Amino acid sequence: MAAAIEFRQVNKWFGKLHVLVDVTLGVAPGEVVVVCGPSGSGKSTLIRCVNALERIQSGEIVVLGDSITSPRMNLTRLRTQVGMVFQSFNLFPHMTALENIMLAPMKVRNAPREDAEKTARALLLRVGIPDKAGNYPANLSGGQQQRVAIARALAMQPKIMLFDEPTSALDPEMINEVLEVMTDLAKSGMTMMVVTHEMGFARRVAHRVIFMDGGQVIEEADPETFFASPKSDRSRQFLSKILSH
Amino acid sequence: MSYQFKWSVLWSGQSGYWLLQGLITTLELSALAWLLAVALGILSGALRTVPFRPLRAAATFYVEFFRNVPLLVWMFFWYFGVPPLLPRGVQDWLFDHGAEFWAGMFALGVYHGARMSEVIRSGIQSIPRTQFEASVAMGLSVWQAYRLVILPIALRLIVPPITNESLNLLKNSSVALTISVAELTFQTRQIETYTARAIEALTAGTLIYLVLCVSIAWVMSSLERRYAIPGLIARVGGAG
Amino acid sequence: MKRGFVVLQVLALLLSPLGPVFAQSQTLDKIKESGVLTIGTRTGSPPFAYINKNNEWVGFSIDLVELLVIPSISKEVGKPIKLTKKESTPPTRIPLLNSNSVDLIAGTMTDTPERRQSVDFSLTFFLTGAQFLVKKGSPIHGINDIAGKRIATQQGSTNAKIIREKVPNAQLREFPDQPAAFQALLQGQVDAYTNDGIQLYGLKAKAPNPTDWEVVGDFFSEEPYGMAMRKGDAKFKQTVDAGLKQGFESGKYFEIYDKWFGPKGELPYPMSPQVKAYLLKQIGK
Repeated sequence: MAAAIEFRQVNKWFGKLHVLVDVTLGVAPGEVVVVCGPSGSGKSTLIRCVNALERIQSGEIVVLGDSITSPRMNLTRLRTQVGMVFQSFNLFPHMTALENIMLAPMKVRNAPREDAEKTARALLLRVGIPDKAGNYPANLSGGQQQRVAIARALAMQPKIMLFDEPTSALDPEMINEVLEVMTDLAKSGMTMMVVTHEMGFARRVAHRVIFMDGGQVIEEADPETFFASPKSDRSRQFLSKILSH
Repeated sequence: MSYQFKWSVLWSGQSGYWLLQGLITTLELSALAWLLAVALGILSGALRTVPFRPLRAAATFYVEFFRNVPLLVWMFFWYFGVPPLLPRGVQDWLFDHGAEFWAGMFALGVYHGARMSEVIRSGIQSIPRTQFEASVAMGLSVWQAYRLVILPIALRLIVPPITNESLNLLKNSSVALTISVAELTFQTRQIETYTARAIEALTAGTLIYLVLCVSIAWVMSSLERRYAIPGLIARVGGAG
Repeated sequence: MKRGFVVLQVLALLLSPLGPVFAQSQTLDKIKESGVLTIGTRTGSPPFAYINKNNEWVGFSIDLVELLVIPSISKEVGKPIKLTKKESTPPTRIPLLNSNSVDLIAGTMTDTPERRQSVDFSLTFFLTGAQFLVKKGSPIHGINDIAGKRIATQQGSTNAKIIREKVPNAQLREFPDQPAAFQALLQGQVDAYTNDGIQLYGLKAKAPNPTDWEVVGDFFSEEPYGMAMRKGDAKFKQTVDAGLKQGFESGKYFEIYDKWFGPKGELPYPMSPQVKAYLLKQIGK
């Protein structure tokens, strides 16, 4: 089967900083890949390339069969097929939870309001907060906000979901409610790339763990192998730091 | 001698009518110029933040060019500088149909548009960049992201500085008297000419400006409360 | 700005609880004490008061003060007096007087009954009248031809008032500054500019092609220029008038007139016999 996401010899610079170095990588449909690594390793940049929030300087990225680095690529089509959840939730503060979820279907797909609302309510039910439809983001807890953000990304019925440190901004007691939603999503067969430090989640849910440092993919392995016997010094160092907490 | 106030000059003769005419002209001039300024301000303020360099450059040029030249000069520019570019017949028609007013309106609107642009730009830039990313990541175009997300938030944030700028615009409308627009300050001077009662006339003008400014500030703060984002700006507004 | 300055003056007056209490010759006392006569005058009204090419603030009105009024005041207070000039404009000049910022307005101010309610005027030191400056060949030859026409005036002048009363359907365009009004005439924003004849001659001389322009019409108003003083200070007025009277009698006034308006003057404007008679009639001749 063709890969859902493919990086071929990808290089990216921020000015003189080489943030992605010859990255070659594939993600299969339905696969859940956790990307980890120290801060500044390029892991967020990596997944932000998938929906073209970042542009690359060389190499090629193919998403769902389309080269997204070609000048002819359809940005809107790409982004409706790839949902993204951010560290800082990024709900729109002037809209209710429901309106946040309805916005893209109505404005990008021109879905009728009733349909969009029906879908939105179903998604709120799916993420476990059907009663918060009318709440504004400021009146939701962090965990609730992030669950609305996941529902919002799902509203476009994407084939791929990107998570950029989705629990890093949360209070510890709210992390699990978000991880549960992500776990359910993974079980439903969604293709996911998740940047996270939640090693428990990686162990339980991920099919594969990718360890990055200095813009390079240092190590790829199934979670079992990665956590039991990391091959490189850098991944061992990283794991010892992160697991001792 | 000590100055003998004679407030009756304000309602005897034609003074009351002149003040009213002046007030109406000031309001018409300011309201039209305000609409123009807000439209230009939103457009150029937003363009200064978009991810396309030529548009940013054009907006920056507009802002720096227009806000860094005194308003008085712009009044003369629109009144004396622009008409000669038109055919003679058009000029004559304009001069017979309130060219002063329209020149004043453009001068005021374009000048304050450049100033409002900066207010709006800073409002937009105070919104985390990730809001924009979240918008486009779900498939909205840049235009939709600005229209549906960035501007609605930014416009709420900038109500206080926009109020301030609107008051400046109202007060600056008096500069139009230099190109013979018979607005409020012009009319207070007129009363002074006819009655030699400068202090009474200026006091009347001052009070009218004061009432106008306080009313505008009140309307704007009502708007601010009315459109406050729940949980965000209501706290800042105090009354919410 | 000037307008801001006026507002300050207004505030100063409103804030002083009782206003200044003037003794009978308070102005003279003030001048005696400070040794300075402060006048308010124009900066752009040649040849009465203006900044010349050498950046000097000079003019006919200023000369009259320096050569006729100051000697009279010096004599009165018994010591030499220096002259200080401040800029005044039609809207600012009365507030400047009343706030004691200046003691005498000597520029191009017309003596009118309305203004006499607020200030006192000296003897008339110059007589002109309102006329029109138009492009040569204009259909406007006087006040009877201006119905429906666009007429520029200087705001604060009495001309606008007269036109408004006599020809209500003329389209008045009132400018606070003469240069703007004149520019409007040059460019065709207006069909004519009305002001005192003497000022129009001055403008015509400054136009890019003076021969393209002409001053037309009979005086539709008489504009006697006087020096204005705070109201009620009779002693000071007497002293100023005495200086002018002395000038008329000795002929010194006419020498000064000739310096500015004579054939070699800044603006040739020969004095008509009627005007001369009008001026001398004031001193009983």
